[in-house]
Amino acid sequence: MAANVGIPPAVTDESAAYWAAAAEGRLLVEHCGACGAESFPPYGICRSCRGRATAPVEVTGRGVVYSLTVNHQRWMPGLEVPYALVLVEFPDHPGVRVFGRLRGCEPEEAAIGMAVDVGFEPGPGGCAIPSFVAVAASPDHGPGSGPAVPGAV
Amino acid sequence: MGADLFERRAVISGVGQSAIGRQVDRSGFQLTLDAVLAAIADAGLTVDDIDGLAMFPGGGKANLPGYANGNLYEVQDALRITTRWRQGVVEGMCMPFHGPAMAVATGQARHAVIWRTVKEGSAARNAGGRPAYGSTNPMAEGPLAWLLPVGALSPVCQVAPYAARYMHEYGATREQLAWIPVTQRAHAALNPDAVYRTPLSVDDYLSARMISTPICLYDCDVPADGATAIVVSAAETAPDLRAPVAIEAMAGVVDGRPSWEQWEDMGRVGYATAAALWERTDLRPADVDVAQLYDGFTIECVWWLEAMGFCKPGEAGAFVEGGSRIALGGELPLNTWGGQLSGGRLHAAFGHVAEAVRQVRGEAGARQVPGARVAAVTNVGGYEAGAALLTTWSG
Repeated sequence: MAANVGIPPAVTDESAAYWAAAAEGRLLVEHCGACGAESFPPYGICRSCRGRATAPVEVTGRGVVYSLTVNHQRWMPGLEVPYALVLVEFPDHPGVRVFGRLRGCEPEEAAIGMAVDVGFEPGPGGCAIPSFVAVAASPDHGPGSGPAVPGAV
Repeated sequence: MGADLFERRAVISGVGQSAIGRQVDRSGFQLTLDAVLAAIADAGLTVDDIDGLAMFPGGGKANLPGYANGNLYEVQDALRITTRWRQGVVEGMCMPFHGPAMAVATGQARHAVIWRTVKEGSAARNAGGRPAYGSTNPMAEGPLAWLLPVGALSPVCQVAPYAARYMHEYGATREQLAWIPVTQRAHAALNPDAVYRTPLSVDDYLSARMISTPICLYDCDVPADGATAIVVSAAETAPDLRAPVAIEAMAGVVDGRPSWEQWEDMGRVGYATAAALWERTDLRPADVDVAQLYDGFTIECVWWLEAMGFCKPGEAGAFVEGGSRIALGGELPLNTWGGQLSGGRLHAAFGHVAEAVRQVRGEAGARQVPGARVAAVTNVGGYEAGAALLTTWSG
């Protein structure tokens, strides 16, 4: 599929693992070896206990839409509209909220509280961007089923 | 309360603005000089009295399409003055006059000017649409790396989830919130410098195109060209000033995650700043005669109406519905110059401060709130926030 139009990220030492995993369809956040808390985005320090022994950990399982917007404005040439953007939180990963696109349903069907699976799509500059998958439209999972498979890029 | 507060040792002595419009055929540097000279004259001072210069934002990467402040040293050179204090600021801004007030309160300067110049109207026209935030850089750096790649390409997309969450939690409707831009447009009709002055109806609002749901065209401030300058002076110079205005209290607290997408509770913004403000004064919300609340988007007004205690959390929709409370003549006239939604995106509360000063001086012309002595003014919310009370000078 064609890559989504946007502005590519400047990859830093802190974010390199995130973007590399994204290209593999995996969502990484930062896990604290001392207290077990998870933080996002990655800063190399635990936002809970301020421990420095952090390491990437993969987020799997269902997410829940905290809030959203459906963008209708063509901010850049070639940007296809409308599309839904969702802020996703994970019941099993407190402290983690990730902004991404939504697919698997019409943009107008996006709603606060809806369940989504982790997924990625091609983004600008060769990166992969979070593109969550509406659960109702996900063929592998009925409502309330087990952990999600990593999304395909 | 608060005789030892630093802000009580400072006054706002002058405000000045250039021509303001969707497009003004004049360079950003000339607009800057127009506003600075007007503000100095408004204070009753001369250029040689100025010994502090500041601008928002400072130079470097903060400069985005249509950010047209110019260079602080070129402005100093053009004015042929000596400065004892200079500042370019983004982080820690609070209110535009916060830094200058600290400077004059601590004796580093006696009369400091801060200005903000925008050519965003021209930049939008030249770009064929409103420029994406940060789009002058080929890569999304810092916090923008989590926004621009996924398609949250504008502040509209970044703020819209706050509006969606607020409406979800409290049941506020677009039909209610429409009264903020509609009422402010009626105020703009009384402001000859406002960008849009023709009447706007609730029906116009409801039929306007969506930009990023639930934010429609009329929820967005208007990209404009124009400059605003504010002169802040040491309080002991008041006898030399034409019409000083007192800074009763000011505060700026960032207590949540300072990030558009990570802010924890998107239904509530500005509360810590408002609480810190009210701790610095004996005045109460009911004492406020006129409110200039930041309105980059309609929802930002909602945040401040509730955080400042003008209505209860979740009740702003009912508070603004029908417009009578927030109109001229109502209990809390809101953004009497039209706000950024109709007056123009002068940005960073510079337009709001200018109006607050004019109101408590009694110099607001056809839109004057009779007898206004206390003005509330706020800036942004979320990852940078400021609030202040300006009052009529009583010596």
